[in-house]
Amino acid sequence: MPFNRPLILLLLMLLLTAAWWRLQPEAASVQRTQLLMGTTVSIEAAGADRAVLERAIAAAFAEMARIEALMSPHRPDSDVSRLTAAAHTATVAPETVEVIALGLDIARRSGGAFDLTLGRLKSLWGIETETPRVPAPAELASALQGTGPGALSVSGDLVTKRSPQLAIDLGAIAKGYAVDRAIATLRAHGVPSAAVNAGGDIGLLGSKLGRPWRIGVQHPRQASSVLVTLEAADRAVVTSGDYERCFERDGRRYHHLFDPQTGYPAGRCQSVTVLASHAVLADALATALFVLGPERGLALLRDYPGVDALIVAADGRLHSTPGLAAVKAGPS
Amino acid sequence: MNFLWRRMTAADRLVVAGLMAAAVAGIAWVAAAPPGRRVVAGDGERVLFVAPLEQPREVELAGPLGPTRLMIDQQGARITASPCALKVCMGMGPARRPGDLLVCLPNRILVQVEGEAEESAPYDLLSR
Amino acid sequence: MICSAADREPLEQTRRRVFLALFTALAVALHTLEALWPAPAPWFRLGLANILSLVALFLYGGQAAWTVSLGRVLLGSLLLGRLFTPGFWLALGGAVVATLVMVVAHRLAPRRLGPIGVSALGAAGHALGQMTVAWLVLVRHPGLWQLFPLLLLVAVVAGMLTGWAAAVLLERLESHEAFRKAG
Repeated sequence: MPFNRPLILLLLMLLLTAAWWRLQPEAASVQRTQLLMGTTVSIEAAGADRAVLERAIAAAFAEMARIEALMSPHRPDSDVSRLTAAAHTATVAPETVEVIALGLDIARRSGGAFDLTLGRLKSLWGIETETPRVPAPAELASALQGTGPGALSVSGDLVTKRSPQLAIDLGAIAKGYAVDRAIATLRAHGVPSAAVNAGGDIGLLGSKLGRPWRIGVQHPRQASSVLVTLEAADRAVVTSGDYERCFERDGRRYHHLFDPQTGYPAGRCQSVTVLASHAVLADALATALFVLGPERGLALLRDYPGVDALIVAADGRLHSTPGLAAVKAGPS
Repeated sequence: MNFLWRRMTAADRLVVAGLMAAAVAGIAWVAAAPPGRRVVAGDGERVLFVAPLEQPREVELAGPLGPTRLMIDQQGARITASPCALKVCMGMGPARRPGDLLVCLPNRILVQVEGEAEESAPYDLLSR
Repeated sequence: MICSAADREPLEQTRRRVFLALFTALAVALHTLEALWPAPAPWFRLGLANILSLVALFLYGGQAAWTVSLGRVLLGSLLLGRLFTPGFWLALGGAVVATLVMVVAHRLAPRRLGPIGVSALGAAGHALGQMTVAWLVLVRHPGLWQLFPLLLLVAVVAGMLTGWAAAVLLERLESHEAFRKAG
């Protein structure tokens, strides 16, 4: 059957267009989720090459798993477990040193509101287990003995405990650190835009496709509502609230953010949201502010000019740093 | 092909070319269009189960503690039964939008809705 | 079939009627044959019966085309026992849109569009009509329309082939004096 030349040309052009179109590296947005550090960690990344994004995300998750292995109290060979088991000193990884150093600094500046040494207190309450309980006052006093900013010191790669029974808990601050490490890994792979969400601890790399990331802040009392939406890029956003990880006993609700002075869950705030350059800092400050309450908390933040915060006090009133107004998203 | 070409007027050829171009363009558009939303269930590492969000169904996902029941219906994807102690997963509400998550940590079950994110969502991520 | 030369007008009309009846019968036969043919999917058919609608259109005009098309669908479905089944409505929807498109196209460009062009348009219309009926009556899922571009492509190709058959048939018929136009 003789073929018609114009038709063949048309078909060839169609074929070439289809081939060219298929061969373009797929500009893509990739999202992956894993169960890590006792929560769901979700990483989404956008960029010019899907293969690069997949590799970067896998590397970021691997890095977070490595940090978890270092700082989890549930692993017998982690730095935290070894430190807890040690009588006096232990040698730890540089990452652990970094985290402990930051934690101690915040502990001092917050007058002890942030505390790295509440391991025994947490075990007592069993707040992260399936069988939480309300401890007796005597048990609390015993668990709080020897805690506080002065109970721990770090020098080089050596961490020293003041008393042998001291149990270190890097809890939330480790999650923030892992988020920072994940962001650094993604950045090192050349990813232009990414967001890491580890159970509400958020790290942002770049902006989202030409506009800042929109972060909704959970309303502390209405489960399906958003308190406010914030805009951020290249920043970390961490919220600590009394509604997550809690249990009820005899009509009272107990959550997981303890006041180191009383041993009971802190009651001055419903939730605190902190925006800072790094998630580890935001994490530590969020915990400190939650314990301190709005007035002393905002006073503490005067030492941190690059940090913004929104505090929902126990009575539901909102307090914020002056810079927060600039970060609120306009009506969309 | 010549037997066709001979009997086609100029207008015929134009019409046929136009219709076929439209059809091919349509095929390309359909092939490139984002697929519907999927429900992906796994244990955090492996994928155990994938299904379209649009089709109602019920499925049991096996975890170390036992089976967690997942229901997909008009409201979305929900966990309706699970062997965990605190049943936090069952209160997580229907997952509908791309990125919505359901988790049963004790039973190591993770359910996520995948698909193209809509730009009209009020926020990209939730800090809680 | 040459009768008394005096009654030219009624002669033409009678002739027309008889031939249209013949065309319709042939269309029904082709429709039935196609329905019994094994096909990859129920809708991917050649539409051979449309050849006769085209011939009627080009020989006798729009109304004749409607007669043959609608007659074919009704009688064909009746014969196959498919009257008022979903398949019937699909066929009817397709035929209505196809015939509409063909009649309008032929009226707008009687000289410039030949049978192949008109048939291609009619085939596209047929695909559209069937899709619409399917959407209204059978499957309300928007994913249905994702099939349309492929269906359209197949329809246009089939339309070209049936158009060619119609063109060949028209050539033969128009040379016979039974089909010579009056005046």
